[in-house]
Amino acid sequence: MALLKVEGLNKSFGAVRAVDSVSFEVRPGEIYGLLGPNGAGKTTTISIISGLLKPDAGNVAVTGKPFWSDPQAAKRIMGVVPQELAIYEELTGRENLEFWGRMAGLSSGEAKSRATELLAALTLTDRAKDAVKTYSGGMKRRINLGCALLHHPKLLLLDEPTVGIDPQARLNILEFIRGLCASGTGILYTTHYLEEAETLCQRIGIIDHGRLLAEGTLTELQERLGGDRVFVLEADFKNAAPEAWDGFNQRFRVIQKTEQQLVVAAVGARDPSDCLKDLLGLPVHVENVTLKRPSLNDVFLQLTGRDLRE
Amino acid sequence: MLRALLAKDLRRAWRNPLPWLINLIVPLAMTALLGMVFGGNSDSGALGRIRFAVVDEDKSVLSDFLRGAANQREGGKYLEPVFMERTNALKLVNAGKISAVLIIETNFMRNYLTGREPVSLELIKNPAESIHPAVLEELLGAVVTALNAVSRNFNSEFPEWQAVFEGKADYHKASILVERAGDKLKAVKKFINPPLVGYEKEDDSESTNAAAKTANSNGSGTNRVAAKTVEKKNAKSNSDSSHTIFAYLLLGLSAMFLLFLGQNAMTDLHRELRKRTFERYQTMHQQLWPFIVSKIVFAVVVLLICSAVMLGGGGLVFRIHWQNPLPLLALVFGYACFIAALFAVLVALVPDERRAGVLNNVAGMALGLVGGCAFPASQLPAFLREHITPLMPSNWFVEAARNLQFNGPGVAWGIVLLKLAICSVILTALAAMLFRRKFKTGLRA
Repeated sequence: MALLKVEGLNKSFGAVRAVDSVSFEVRPGEIYGLLGPNGAGKTTTISIISGLLKPDAGNVAVTGKPFWSDPQAAKRIMGVVPQELAIYEELTGRENLEFWGRMAGLSSGEAKSRATELLAALTLTDRAKDAVKTYSGGMKRRINLGCALLHHPKLLLLDEPTVGIDPQARLNILEFIRGLCASGTGILYTTHYLEEAETLCQRIGIIDHGRLLAEGTLTELQERLGGDRVFVLEADFKNAAPEAWDGFNQRFRVIQKTEQQLVVAAVGARDPSDCLKDLLGLPVHVENVTLKRPSLNDVFLQLTGRDLRE
Repeated sequence: MLRALLAKDLRRAWRNPLPWLINLIVPLAMTALLGMVFGGNSDSGALGRIRFAVVDEDKSVLSDFLRGAANQREGGKYLEPVFMERTNALKLVNAGKISAVLIIETNFMRNYLTGREPVSLELIKNPAESIHPAVLEELLGAVVTALNAVSRNFNSEFPEWQAVFEGKADYHKASILVERAGDKLKAVKKFINPPLVGYEKEDDSESTNAAAKTANSNGSGTNRVAAKTVEKKNAKSNSDSSHTIFAYLLLGLSAMFLLFLGQNAMTDLHRELRKRTFERYQTMHQQLWPFIVSKIVFAVVVLLICSAVMLGGGGLVFRIHWQNPLPLLALVFGYACFIAALFAVLVALVPDERRAGVLNNVAGMALGLVGGCAFPASQLPAFLREHITPLMPSNWFVEAARNLQFNGPGVAWGIVLLKLAICSVILTALAAMLFRRKFKTGLRA
């Protein structure tokens, strides 16, 4: 049974449709990544799931029960890590953990012992007594994450938990999240970093303008491009019209075209060398051809026509 | 739960004390300012000694008398005259070293006794000071009134007195004049004596009572003892009077400043919104109201501390004896609850911190001014006074507190406390409801 099931979620703010018919599910021990650029509707989706916003339409079910039938019960098994550092800078790391533990329903003693465990797990024991305002960005992020874990949530909602920190701190957090997943926690992870989604998530949903455009494992998403490789051609494509080239559309699908670059995937299971031969025979002077595995960015490009990194 | 929330806020306030210290300094500064304006911190509890220059250009017996009066034993407690030439005196006043210069002009006594020309005593005040020169002016007014009274009653005898003062009359003539003056004073005795007798009953000092009784039984000592006792009574009376004014002012100013302090305390709710910690709390399984109530409790604790500083500290500085401290404390508690709940509603209505700052200031000013905290309600325009002021909880509080101080405890303060408590509960519920609604529609600070 899915830990979290979202069906046909809709939310508008005035004329702006922030979430449009979004459906997905998160299973126990799974990291589900919601990948999309800023303003795609990721945070609004998490806000609805965590009960901060009421949807205009659609359902959210936690462990099979509709969220709004008993929001308090649903919240008891959830941990939410907001994108902002929602912690008290004047308090120490330990005090923050203990306070949010009390808010999560733990007794004073339980909160204390759980805070000690988490400080060790987050490698913050030596700075436990320092005020959070003296922490580095990565340490603050870790405390921000820890504050949602005091009550051992079965379902964890992480809204861009690594935004704005250095690569090493990001790796530490991702490793910690993998550990949580291994212990059976279901995780909904929103991000706009392709690498995080590719390396961390078992399944990925690509969201843009409030709509979930595609969903699946990384392999499933790559296969949407028609195989496990794409060709990147470098040439002057300013006045080129690939769709007008003889037989091109039958053999290749254009993923992206710029003035200097053309990214294409082969249609059907064809030998790469045949494909290469075809591409070199195109009516343009090709300066370079690269063969690579399709990335999530290529999938995003194909789905939206835009680069996620833009 | 509430304890954890309150402990968190108090800990945060303790770790970042500057905003709170500023909040505490405001009422302290106001109290000190009042103290400086009204001289509430001098040793005598009054104005301290007034240093001024006396320029005696007349050098007559009468001017000697005036000079002497200025530094008599009792006068010497409050007045510190220095005698010098006009030029030096003006230099000192310009240098700000004295409060004023009193000039007794040439021929002052001759003109006074002959009545040929109007006489005047000139007072040059130090413009850099306000209170001391004003007190000297008042004193000089009293001296002038006394001289005029003497002139009216003894005018016919002035030529003979002038001869005596100028050494042109023998002792026999002088003794006749003194005897006649004594007869005239005996005639006005009944107008002078009653205050002295009246005072004897009010005095709480046994030794002074004994002295006053002795004076009454022994005619020769009456004037000396009477002067001393009248001075003592005046001092007590002045003290009571100033306490009355200070207590009245302090209660109003405190009511006004508590509004601003309450606003400052509740801006912490804005900070929680801005930092998203309020939103994070909302993702927990807890109800919303404990968070709102804890903030209100936090604001109330801060307001009670500030009240203790303002009313307790102000009371010490101005030697105010709070007549009914427990009912007053209960009223302050009720008023603090009302203020905290009111500003919680305003935060819920306007989550934007900058806009809320403007709205809260206006609300605080309106409640303070229209509620009769800064000015007596009777001085407000008729429409406000009759229709708006009575609806203001700030007015309920300040009027009830003043009544407690000046008219004694009655049932009125209990009713006011009940009204403030009801308002607080309603406003707290309203704040929680508004926040819940705001969150559901997507509150982002």
